[in-house]
Amino acid sequence: MSLNLSRPRMLAFSLPALLAILPFLGACFYIFRFSISGEKGVIDGFSIQPYLDLMTPFFGRSVWVTFKLAFISSVIVMFLAVPLAFLLATLKSVMARRILTVSILLPMILNLLVQAYGWIILLGPTGVLNTSLREFGIIDRPLFLLFNETGVLLGLIQTSLPLAVFPIVSSVRAISREHLEAASSLGAGHWRTFYDVTLPLLRPGLVGAGSIIFAFNASAFAIPLLLGGRRVQMMGVAIRDMISPLFNWSGAAAAGMILIALTLGVLLFANWLLNRTSDKKGA
Amino acid sequence: MRVGLLPTHGGGSYRLVMIFLAILGILISTLPVIIVTIMSFSAADTSSFPPTEFSFRWYGDVVDMFMTEDGSSAQSVVSSVQTSIIVAAIVMVLSTAVCIPLAYALARGDRKIRTGMELLFTLPLVFPLVILGIAFLLIAESLRLEIGIWRIVIPHLALVLPFVLRNCIGAMNGISVELEEAAISLGAPPLRAIWDIVIPLMKAGILAGLIFALIISFYEFTITFFMYTIDVNTLPIWMYSRTVSSLDPSTLALSVFIIAADVVLIVLVDKLIAGRANLF
Repeated sequence: MSLNLSRPRMLAFSLPALLAILPFLGACFYIFRFSISGEKGVIDGFSIQPYLDLMTPFFGRSVWVTFKLAFISSVIVMFLAVPLAFLLATLKSVMARRILTVSILLPMILNLLVQAYGWIILLGPTGVLNTSLREFGIIDRPLFLLFNETGVLLGLIQTSLPLAVFPIVSSVRAISREHLEAASSLGAGHWRTFYDVTLPLLRPGLVGAGSIIFAFNASAFAIPLLLGGRRVQMMGVAIRDMISPLFNWSGAAAAGMILIALTLGVLLFANWLLNRTSDKKGA
Repeated sequence: MRVGLLPTHGGGSYRLVMIFLAILGILISTLPVIIVTIMSFSAADTSSFPPTEFSFRWYGDVVDMFMTEDGSSAQSVVSSVQTSIIVAAIVMVLSTAVCIPLAYALARGDRKIRTGMELLFTLPLVFPLVILGIAFLLIAESLRLEIGIWRIVIPHLALVLPFVLRNCIGAMNGISVELEEAAISLGAPPLRAIWDIVIPLMKAGILAGLIFALIISFYEFTITFFMYTIDVNTLPIWMYSRTVSSLDPSTLALSVFIIAADVVLIVLVDKLIAGRANLF
């Protein structure tokens, strides 16, 4: 006797979940339909005017800021995540590992507002850093680290770090000790082993994690809203401004489609990069 | 020479650089939380650091907020916490209820359908939240839907499905078909076999999924930011409305309660899935 489900039976089991995801699919379709609407406030007719209207220096700058911040944050996150993953993979004590897991995971699931409070107290004009620097006489005027791109960058790095660390930990665990031992017995130093053995073995994991971080940070909304003030117009914030004061719904929908295209493009590019390198290896 | 990813001694500049970067990463992750916790015990009204005196006055304020404020005013913290809890509870129950049968079907059914379904249910994970928020708002506004709390429940549900499903599938993978076959060959109807054999074995994964759903729904900000109304708003929205005006230390004390709850929940998830599944 086999327990393989028949197709109708399988469908019946999947039906509740499909119903639950239906509004999401509807929303995806709706936003696409709105982006090619002839009217700004309602869906009526077809036109590519919403996209043409976005060809302004203002929106172009917003796309550029989004791309720049998402890219820089992904690179920095990779530099921080790899050592953290090594640390997590090598820690022997269960307690230490658990503490490290909690402290890395916390920023991801903790209320973003709580973290924004923390950064404001830490880096604000009258915050910890500025007051102590001034007391030591290192600076005269407060450094402006928040409500500009630096602040947003810090927030993005912090919230996306766990997304990188945990997948990399699983690829680090997959590296066999023999590889490292072989490199070392052939006389390779630590840096040499890292560049020539560890990094190439980690590459698929790194590219995958990096592209996800990019997509995640490019579509960030709460962080630029809370830590960027009004000045850092990442696409998420710019799209909201089109809706809330301007009521340009079709424009917001079109801008949203461009954001999706940007993130999807990077994800596909990373995928292609991975396939290409694995093909080379196979040949 | 000792080999390893992170040499415990020796290793020169390699070890130094790696340790430095790891510490930097930990600091970036934890500093805001630590600062918020310390400041919540400050006795002063201003946010100067380090606090000169310590007190529990802001914690007293939080307790007062919950005790005295009348629940009828829509802007009150009590009603937003209530809404948050109700939304999270509905999302937890519904998402788990729909994901258990789906995970079962995917584990036991056609491989081709499985890949497609997994892809479909990963979509909410990569879809930009702002756009989702706007899309749901557009639908609700242009169809003039009066659905009360479901304005928030429906988007949250889509958002947690990938996490809950992943945990359920992870739990299903460990259950061999033989156990079910044994139950059926002993005369149990197939549905009974699922209920009595499969679901109890999936318990850890289901619990982890429930906790994920709770955390994500309870702290979701972006979509809720678009969907909230005067009658239906959640705790993160209430906290946001408090920050816009000024930094109020009692909000910091409230944050510490949230941090404590989070730590407990993460440790629970970590124990439940203890290395058997990936978090993401």
